[in-house]
Amino acid sequence: MIKIEKNPVLVIAILLTSLILLNSCGGVPEEKVKDGEMANNAFSVEEVLEMVAEENDVTRTLYTKAIVGKGKLQGMKFDEDWRKDDVEAGPLPALFLRGVATSIRKSPVPLGLYLGSDFPVNAANKFEGKQAELFKKIKEDQEPQFFYEEDTKLHTAMFADLASAGACVTCHNKHPQTTKDDWKLGDVMGATTWQYPKDSLTYKETIDVLNSYAMGTVDIYVEYLNEIAAFKDSEKPTIGDKWPVEGNYLPTSEVFLDSVKKLTSYKTMKKLVAVRE
Amino acid sequence: MFKISPLRKRQFTGGVVGVLLGICIVLFLTLKSSEEYISLGPMNEGHDDLSCVTCHADAKGNLSQQIQSNMQFVMGIREHNVDFGTQDVTVENCLQCHDRPNDRHPNHRFSEPRFKEIIKVIDATTCITCHSEHNGERVTVAVVNYCMNCHQDLKVEEDPIDVAHETLIAEEQWNTCIQCHDFHGNHRYEVPTKLQDTIPMQTINAYLKGGKDPYGTDKKYIGLSEPEWIKLNLNKK
Repeated sequence: MIKIEKNPVLVIAILLTSLILLNSCGGVPEEKVKDGEMANNAFSVEEVLEMVAEENDVTRTLYTKAIVGKGKLQGMKFDEDWRKDDVEAGPLPALFLRGVATSIRKSPVPLGLYLGSDFPVNAANKFEGKQAELFKKIKEDQEPQFFYEEDTKLHTAMFADLASAGACVTCHNKHPQTTKDDWKLGDVMGATTWQYPKDSLTYKETIDVLNSYAMGTVDIYVEYLNEIAAFKDSEKPTIGDKWPVEGNYLPTSEVFLDSVKKLTSYKTMKKLVAVRE
Repeated sequence: MFKISPLRKRQFTGGVVGVLLGICIVLFLTLKSSEEYISLGPMNEGHDDLSCVTCHADAKGNLSQQIQSNMQFVMGIREHNVDFGTQDVTVENCLQCHDRPNDRHPNHRFSEPRFKEIIKVIDATTCITCHSEHNGERVTVAVVNYCMNCHQDLKVEEDPIDVAHETLIAEEQWNTCIQCHDFHGNHRYEVPTKLQDTIPMQTINAYLKGGKDPYGTDKKYIGLSEPEWIKLNLNKK
């Protein structure tokens, strides 16, 4: 019988064979940034969150003023219970934002978006701890606040959410469960909180963040249009290229997104193509 | 060519039988009809008809590649490790079938910093905190008083129930919440206005263990069946 331990050649042969067998397939391909995709991290997480927060400001203002504000004048209804079967209405701006946030979470982009306040209509949206502390500063100077959430290992940013339209003020002041009824136009009503797991992003990751936000707005807006399609008792607005300011009309999701892009693209593009040292 | 020592015949026969038996066991356990033998326990309510693969998808690469990649990761040659055998089951797996736009308590909301103390008590960012699989139940959380973690300050204007919500909270009757409200808000039903008309706790407990649904059968969204899930995934691809 051959004794392996006394035969170094055999030991080496077995080891070599194992090594070859183990490595013959190559490993599982690692997902790396391909050449030409700008592998180097191009933007800090703060810059990216500022970019997407600005897009959010424009989108929400457009939705609040041009859809909710003007839509109400045409008799369109918007309700916090808009998803209920017996309610024929569209989402209020805060719920529009929540819809965007939900859509983002379903995308592969690890971006978190939340809305809170010190005087929320829904008690569950009241800031606590670090967020409450930073929100006080935001109310003073309206400047964004950034911090690193140690427990969740997430880079977090908070941005002022202003009462940018009359509809914000009147709805919140008149709401049966409001905790503050003297809101004025321009007040800091709350703050959006954004989270991302990395401290810097590649160009592609930055575009993915911006796209996931844009897709989120389309998703919730399409949900609203689907809700309208299912109306049984209420008059349905005509969906096309016209806006509520012109009558009982609503823009399609494409028209809505185009308008958002027109309002935001120049500013965002300037940041994306800015020469970096 | 291949001589076996007469003194080693028994060992050789044993070895051959062992290898053949091993192959048979492996083949048997890979059959779909044998899935119940490798399952950690009975599937939870509503999941009886699911195959293992609906949650436990094959990890990328073959076993040799996975071993090699993980060895490289340990040696620092590779940036990320890889799943071995099957992919980790995550919330995304659950949401592929149970994603509901109107969920009253969607997981992602609890990732916000203001819930960080609460999720130390009950981690609502993941489904398995309450729905741990392979237990043959519907809800696996030990006590259903979880509402107390977020709703201590709840005030209801024009409270519709005879015993006010504020009273129930002050008396710490946290078990009564679920007697009216299903956590995810996925049922269409009339909420009672008298505490005595609410669903008895015994019925609720039976439901949580996998019994009949006391909130009724009129649901807003129904989870996908396996064929529907397969169809959805094929469409995505």
